[in-house]
Amino acid sequence: MKKLMIAALALLFCIGAVQAQTLDRILKDKKIRVAVEVDSPPFGVLDSAGEPDGLEIAAVRQLAKDLGVTLEMVQVTAPARIPAVLAGRADVAIASLSMTLDRAKTVAFANPHGALTIVIAAPAGTKIASAADLSGKRIGLTRGTLEEATVPKIAPKDCEIVFFDDISVTIQALVSGQVDGAGMSGFAAKAIADKNPAKQLESKFTVTTAFYAAVVRPGDWDLLHWINTWVFLHKRDGFLAGIYEKYTGLKLPDLPTM
Amino acid sequence: MSRGFGWTEFLFVLGGLRWTILLSLAAMGGGSVLGLLVAILRTAPIRSLRWVARAFIEVLQGTPVLMQLFLTYYGLAVVLDLRIDPWPAVVLAMTLNAAAFLGEIWRGSIEAIPRTQWEAAQSLALRYPQQLMLVILPQALRISVPATVGFLVQLIKSTAIASLIGFVELTRAGQLMTSVTFEPMTIYPVVAMLYFIICWPLSLASAMLERKMGRTSRGT
Amino acid sequence: MHYVFQFGVVYDNLPLLLHGALLTIRLSALAMLFGAVVGVFGAAVSTSGPRWARAIVRAYVEVIRNTPFLVQLFIIYFSLPAIGLRFRADQAALLGMTINLGAYATEIIRGGIEAIPRGQIEAGRALGLRRWHIFRFIVLVPALRVVYPALVSQFILLMLGSSVISSISAEDLTAVTNTLQSTTFRSFEFYFAATAIYFVMALGFRLVLDGLGWLLFQRRTAA
Repeated sequence: MKKLMIAALALLFCIGAVQAQTLDRILKDKKIRVAVEVDSPPFGVLDSAGEPDGLEIAAVRQLAKDLGVTLEMVQVTAPARIPAVLAGRADVAIASLSMTLDRAKTVAFANPHGALTIVIAAPAGTKIASAADLSGKRIGLTRGTLEEATVPKIAPKDCEIVFFDDISVTIQALVSGQVDGAGMSGFAAKAIADKNPAKQLESKFTVTTAFYAAVVRPGDWDLLHWINTWVFLHKRDGFLAGIYEKYTGLKLPDLPTM
Repeated sequence: MSRGFGWTEFLFVLGGLRWTILLSLAAMGGGSVLGLLVAILRTAPIRSLRWVARAFIEVLQGTPVLMQLFLTYYGLAVVLDLRIDPWPAVVLAMTLNAAAFLGEIWRGSIEAIPRTQWEAAQSLALRYPQQLMLVILPQALRISVPATVGFLVQLIKSTAIASLIGFVELTRAGQLMTSVTFEPMTIYPVVAMLYFIICWPLSLASAMLERKMGRTSRGT
Repeated sequence: MHYVFQFGVVYDNLPLLLHGALLTIRLSALAMLFGAVVGVFGAAVSTSGPRWARAIVRAYVEVIRNTPFLVQLFIIYFSLPAIGLRFRADQAALLGMTINLGAYATEIIRGGIEAIPRGQIEAGRALGLRRWHIFRFIVLVPALRVVYPALVSQFILLMLGSSVISSISAEDLTAVTNTLQSTTFRSFEFYFAATAIYFVMALGFRLVLDGLGWLLFQRRTAA
């Protein structure tokens, strides 16, 4: 009876135990699962055919190709990026995860393969030149992001901060006027402004800059090493610079290694 | 170049509807099987079995579905070191929830069957499991159809919370399209209308069935 | 299994969690009150109002009961601003909960009213009671007494269902829990604690509401 139950459970839920030799398993199964965002322009969006596309998506596709395995993209919301890796739902998260000390306590960062800025975006008519101007305003932030970690620290006491569970909802709040401004990556602000000139959204000021990198579970040294090698080689052959410029229009800054 | 709400966007939303229906069917299927077991345990002659079933029902009915989903999706995987894909996690959470509600509905139906039926079955020298399977359950399930269909409507509506863990069913499809087209005014009412088109006929059927059953059973 | 439970983090943040619980309780209580009022009004209209009003109430009830609460919230919070109605998150949450509960309450109370035997109403008329008195004493109160358990169940469901208001940034227990677990990565511990708190709140509401029902309906004040 017990054996039957165990078999039934396994059948139902496609359980796979999380193993330490992740790279070996990926190569053996010929499949890699990557946690990605599809609601975060320009890093990950859904194109008109409903397929994922974007700066990080392009990197992810190349990574799987270089590894010689099939790619399974696990679409997650911003707060779920790291939990997805920790829980084993994905082997690695490549979703514009900025490197912070707090995150480094629970996951392992590879060497960065890109850089971003966090800005406050708002309609053209709203006057926000610096953090002080946030006083008395309502600012939207997405949970589990760099803006959530940094904006509250610089916002004045009478600035009302509201939290949303994912980026697309924060964007909606900004567009529908439910918040006066929203924290997001500078690229996202530009992408939204470009797509919707009528709303006249613009980046008001930069809150912080950060490097973003791939994230793996602590202990997956083999996979981490491989990704670092991948970043190193693609920095040199211009691939990373190429996709960066294609999706952001900017030149890739110098990426240091740890 | 703002993408307005056009045909491609609507097709994407319909794709989400497909997942809503699949999720509802899976949860209803799994929940029915488990719920039947729960109802049988809940009305069993053995006190400890009744107690276990009752605890199951009370916990799942007394806590938010969203929390049950979060616990399954975010929590369980970390704790048990299992790799649970999003789809099985959502189906599991909704199945357990459905099992509790259906179990309670069917318990009520079983208890509504008059004692005389049990006694008649007993006098036919049937053992308890046979009494249940051959005499009581068929009648109980028949009278529970309106409530069961009514619950199916609740289930379909509650699949919307799967959007909050990023699962692309109908509601999340609407969210994603809104953040791309910037037209919440058109998209969300369309999403609501799609739910309505699925749910309303079921609600009407449930009400109609209830009236019909009321007429036939009142004859006795 | 090498997961180390760290409930200490939960314990440290207990005041925050309880504050969130308080927000949920307050919002739910208000919504129950307003929703009940809407329900009485809606039930009255749908049983004895003019045809056009009955149709409106019927449409309201059917639309609300056949669409998800989450989508209703999104429409109130994200869609309405486009036609000039901008509500704050907590206002939108209360409005959404009231509208939602009001539809269910209307249906429940209407069922109770329709179950009142016609003989009672005719007796009231024979006694020369005014229409308003007939409605209040012969129809409404007995109807409420009968459907009160169903109403209480619906209230509890609403309180539990309020957990989704965090998705439109309204502050409640779920919102607090989400923030805490996303900054500490202790998802299981916090969600477990929040679930337990919701369970206790559901029990608490049931006790209070059942007690209220006893006070209102069971105590015989006259012979």
